[in-house]
Amino acid sequence: MDLPRSSRIQLQRRYKEKFVEAVLFVCAMASIIIMLLIFFFLVREGLRAFVDVGILNLILGQKWHPAGDIYGMMPLIIDSLMITALALIINITIGLPLAIYLSELAGTEERDILKPAIELLAGVPSIVYGFLGIIILVSYLQSTFDLLTGRSILACSILLGIMFIPRMTTICEDSLRAVPSEFREGSLALGASSWQTIRHVVVPAASSGIIAAIILNIGSIIGETMAALLVVGNVPRMPSPLFNVFGQGATFTSVIASEMGEVARGSLHYQVLFAVGLVLLAVVSILSVLADLIRARIQKKFGGY
Amino acid sequence: MKIKPSSVLSFAASALLFLSSIACLVLQPDLIAITPLWEFALAVSILTVALSAIINRIWRLGPSKVAVLSIDLLYVLAVFMLIFTGSLGPGFEIRSPLGIGASFGFKLVLPFLVLVASILTAKDSINMLYNYSQKGKQSLIFLAIRLSAVISLLILGGILFIIVYKGIWALSWQFLTEPPRKLGQAGGISTAILGSMWMVLGAMIVSAPLGIGAAIYLHEYSRNVRMNRFITIAVSCLNGVPSVVFGLFGLAFLVTHFGISLLSGSIILGLINIPTIILTSQEAIKSVPNSLREGSMALGATKWQTIKKVVLPSSMPGILTGLIIGVAKASGETAPIMWTAVTFTATPVQMIYGVIPNVLQPVNNLDYHLLNLIYFLGAWDVEKNAWGTALVLLILVLTTNMLAVLVRSYYRKKISW
Repeated sequence: MDLPRSSRIQLQRRYKEKFVEAVLFVCAMASIIIMLLIFFFLVREGLRAFVDVGILNLILGQKWHPAGDIYGMMPLIIDSLMITALALIINITIGLPLAIYLSELAGTEERDILKPAIELLAGVPSIVYGFLGIIILVSYLQSTFDLLTGRSILACSILLGIMFIPRMTTICEDSLRAVPSEFREGSLALGASSWQTIRHVVVPAASSGIIAAIILNIGSIIGETMAALLVVGNVPRMPSPLFNVFGQGATFTSVIASEMGEVARGSLHYQVLFAVGLVLLAVVSILSVLADLIRARIQKKFGGY
Repeated sequence: MKIKPSSVLSFAASALLFLSSIACLVLQPDLIAITPLWEFALAVSILTVALSAIINRIWRLGPSKVAVLSIDLLYVLAVFMLIFTGSLGPGFEIRSPLGIGASFGFKLVLPFLVLVASILTAKDSINMLYNYSQKGKQSLIFLAIRLSAVISLLILGGILFIIVYKGIWALSWQFLTEPPRKLGQAGGISTAILGSMWMVLGAMIVSAPLGIGAAIYLHEYSRNVRMNRFITIAVSCLNGVPSVVFGLFGLAFLVTHFGISLLSGSIILGLINIPTIILTSQEAIKSVPNSLREGSMALGATKWQTIKKVVLPSSMPGILTGLIIGVAKASGETAPIMWTAVTFTATPVQMIYGVIPNVLQPVNNLDYHLLNLIYFLGAWDVEKNAWGTALVLLILVLTTNMLAVLVRSYYRKKISW
């Protein structure tokens, strides 16, 4: 090389910069690659189930009988829907008022203690919730409603509803506090009471954040595995009558978690469980994208979250 | 505001009814002792609500108020009569209504009816206390919000309290330092604690560079808005993937290559952690003011030098918080490692040359240990050990989370631009 020393160093630097950028680019692409890999492997293992059983039979079939190689996901879909709806009702009725309390009514010191404490509780492992559910909730329901077993759709809904209160509260509180204080002051200056301000100004302004929180929570309730596995009873059959929440049920996740340990690799049952996972993944991914789009809207609206 | 003794009295009666009926619903005691008290309180609240309605001359406020009030009063009167006539006695039971396999007994129905009655009378008495003004409505709703905040905090605090209270008796030096024996009925959980720690460490080795690198790229390098948006959507998708799906993915992909091993488990937990780390690091890097970057660039530093020497050090607290949250999250996962990394029989982590763990062997894990103890609950006497395991797990996860909160608040006070 007969380049002067300084320009050689410059060249080295430029190559180093390019190299670093390329490495970081790969890191950034990792999430996309992982997402694609997950879809690829679930499709690869589960596709034959759709072909062998038939898409309509698999999704709309009313019976789930692994022993007789009869697979229909309808019981799982109905149970999951019921659990998600009930859990969400519990979750919202308890979590949203708590968020309103924290952001609008509580004093600064009170909030400074309660907010981190609630965030801390979001980290309690789901298996611990499942353990408590089985020891306390299941036996309570069993004795109160005089059930054969307390493991039921209701138990699962209550447990999941309580479990995701901290997450609901934190996200809702963040979006309530992101509402600029000019909104509140303007409303109060017009003579509205503070409840009228909250009801007609603050909550509507934060509504997209609250909706994003609800959608995220739907995703986590559907996808929660260990707590559901322990308290739902794992009996994949249609509830009869349809609104019977006191019966045992099974969700997408609980079926996969309880049956995957025992199946032979490559058997039809194994592939069907992957197909169930694929349906679950598709539903949850759609919900995530939806929540993300809503969050992007908020950012456009208020320039922050 | 004029104090109205009758409304205050009716509010006090309904508060008493509310608290006692909630306590009875939760604790399910024998109701014989408390029914006379309820009868009395219901009678008092009916009389006082009616009295204050007459004093306030409620009919001047319009027929709808009168209609609502009389419906409420009729309901409370009906509950009172049900108790008074004895038709809702201890033998009362609605057995399997509509074909549901549950029955609603006396102990459930009576407190529930009383609860509804107390809520109705509380509403009416507050409304009358404030003469049905907007202010009354506001204080009513704020009362409800405060009440539900208190209830939810009680639930969440109760969860922690129960685990600590029950688990503390199982903790001992032996419990923490001995491997489990006789399928967890005796001995301790030392192998499970160590196995969990190694697996989480492995997960952090996988996820920290990828997550932080991605965050740096997204915020410092990427100029392509559409691409950025695409990656962000993929990250939030990955964040929402249920843990059991990660388990399936690991079973199909990693187990075929590495077997059921520490390595497979670490990789999967690492993948689960990536979105958390990306999101928190991105926030941290975003909060570094541009003037710092510009200052460094103006001194002739290249982009990477600026990032390495200026941006990363000043966003370190935020990134650290993200990593710590990742540790807590990874140590609480069960579903993804159930089929890919763990075994229940006591297996200490084998060391190669005394320092590097053998990554191709299955390990014990706290979450999985607890899961198996829960499965054995009915068959063997493992409840004490299960509470102990749950407490150890909770302590590990909550102290790491608390560390994250402390790091954040410490640096938030210290750094200010």
